[in-house]
Amino acid sequence: MAASSAPEEAPRITRLELRRYAPPIGLLLVLAVATLIPAGLQPPELRLASPDRARVDQMRAVVAGLPSSSLVLVGFDPDLGTYPEIRATVRAVLDDLTSHGARLAFASFTAEGRALAAAEIDRLGRRAEAGGTRPEMLDIGFISGAEAGLVRAVSSIVPNSASGALAEAVRARGGGIGAFDLVVVVSGGDLGARSWVEQVGPRLPSIPMVAVAPTFLEPELAPYLRSGQLKALLATLREGVAYAEEVPVAGAPRDRAIPALPMLIGMLIALGWLVVIIMQRATGRLGPGAREGRLA
Amino acid sequence: MRRSLSSAATVVAGLLILLDLLVVNPSLGSAAGALQELLVLLAASAAVGGSATLVARHVRHLAGASPDRIGSIVLLAGMGVVLAAGLRPGSAGASDPIVLWLVAALLVPLATALFAMLFFFLLAAARHGIEAQGREGVVMLAAAMIAVVLLLPIGGAPGDWLATAADWVRSVPLAGVFRGLLIGVAILAAVTGTRILLGVDRGSE
Repeated sequence: MAASSAPEEAPRITRLELRRYAPPIGLLLVLAVATLIPAGLQPPELRLASPDRARVDQMRAVVAGLPSSSLVLVGFDPDLGTYPEIRATVRAVLDDLTSHGARLAFASFTAEGRALAAAEIDRLGRRAEAGGTRPEMLDIGFISGAEAGLVRAVSSIVPNSASGALAEAVRARGGGIGAFDLVVVVSGGDLGARSWVEQVGPRLPSIPMVAVAPTFLEPELAPYLRSGQLKALLATLREGVAYAEEVPVAGAPRDRAIPALPMLIGMLIALGWLVVIIMQRATGRLGPGAREGRLA
Repeated sequence: MRRSLSSAATVVAGLLILLDLLVVNPSLGSAAGALQELLVLLAASAAVGGSATLVARHVRHLAGASPDRIGSIVLLAGMGVVLAAGLRPGSAGASDPIVLWLVAALLVPLATALFAMLFFFLLAAARHGIEAQGREGVVMLAAAMIAVVLLLPIGGAPGDWLATAADWVRSVPLAGVFRGLLIGVAILAAVTGTRILLGVDRGSE
């Protein structure tokens, strides 16, 4: 008996599952297809870049003002959740620095930041193998102790095990954060640009600091930009896209592409969804009392 | 007595760090540096302790009748693989190419894939929010809708208008609320810190 009832159950369960999962899967497919459309075929009316270029110009001016073969410390502490928003901007900043001959040292004070830094360093290495520019890099790695570790790094940041020309160059200038010509803080995690301004700024007031941060940190960091404690700040997607458009593309340009069309489609779907559920709420089909009403 | 000792240690450590920031003195700098080293060691010990606790918990799950034994196995295997890659003889530790590969090729893509689902989770959460909270949920979703409209990636004059409006929202009402919160938190932290430094915090007594 059991064997004969099983084939009748199976199609109903599959149909139910299909009904439940079809919308998100369909949405995913639509977004994937939109992502694959080349930038040249996308409508010219779409634009993601910020029309206000003030912050872009500030960042470009700081990078352009660096001395030749400058030492730049990248404090890489974004978080996994918001890194997609600033990934393209960070890559553009690294390209900009590299094209100005800067030598880059990566240090992270959070575990998530370290994981993402490892992935970026790996990407830069792979791009160099594929024929792109290989920046001179030093992987300082993870520094434990959070803000205490950051304060300690002011006097000593290069691990004893680090070797190579760049490590020696930093040691020759004192071995601490003060050895660098510029600090680029990639924010998003627990230890971001605010911690750098608070902890490193008073101890090394002559070191210029710039930051790349996701939008949610903009209200927190904007005052530091106005006060001059940060020399430049890119903290919204629009600013990041505008900056990436200004920086000459080095290596694989797809690394930096943020297509506007899939973003627009996703936003319109989200808007449509929000309108539908607000309408359902307004007509009483959704809300705290709706279920009881239906049951009654 | 024990509480008084811990309060005294907190006061001494706090004052030392404060004085080191205010006064340039090599001896003071050395003492503050030693304290920082101690803090770094404490943080590292806490991380190791946390990892050990996590391992112990999941070993217990495996030994018992936990419903998520596969999850425990995956977690312990993942930790084991990374530890083996970093601690094997001849390894460069956290900077070892195998560790970097594990992180860059497995950990980051997996985490990114999980976070990519946020779009769907947020849409589902919006519906649940309306179901559970009613009016508050509607206000929150209306604000979300305004934010999405202001960020629409369109060009020309409408796009410029939207970008200007988005900048205004971010730098006036949003920044006002955010800074109010930050200033409130900073005042609270300063008051709490002062109470601890002066030894008047009843909570620590």
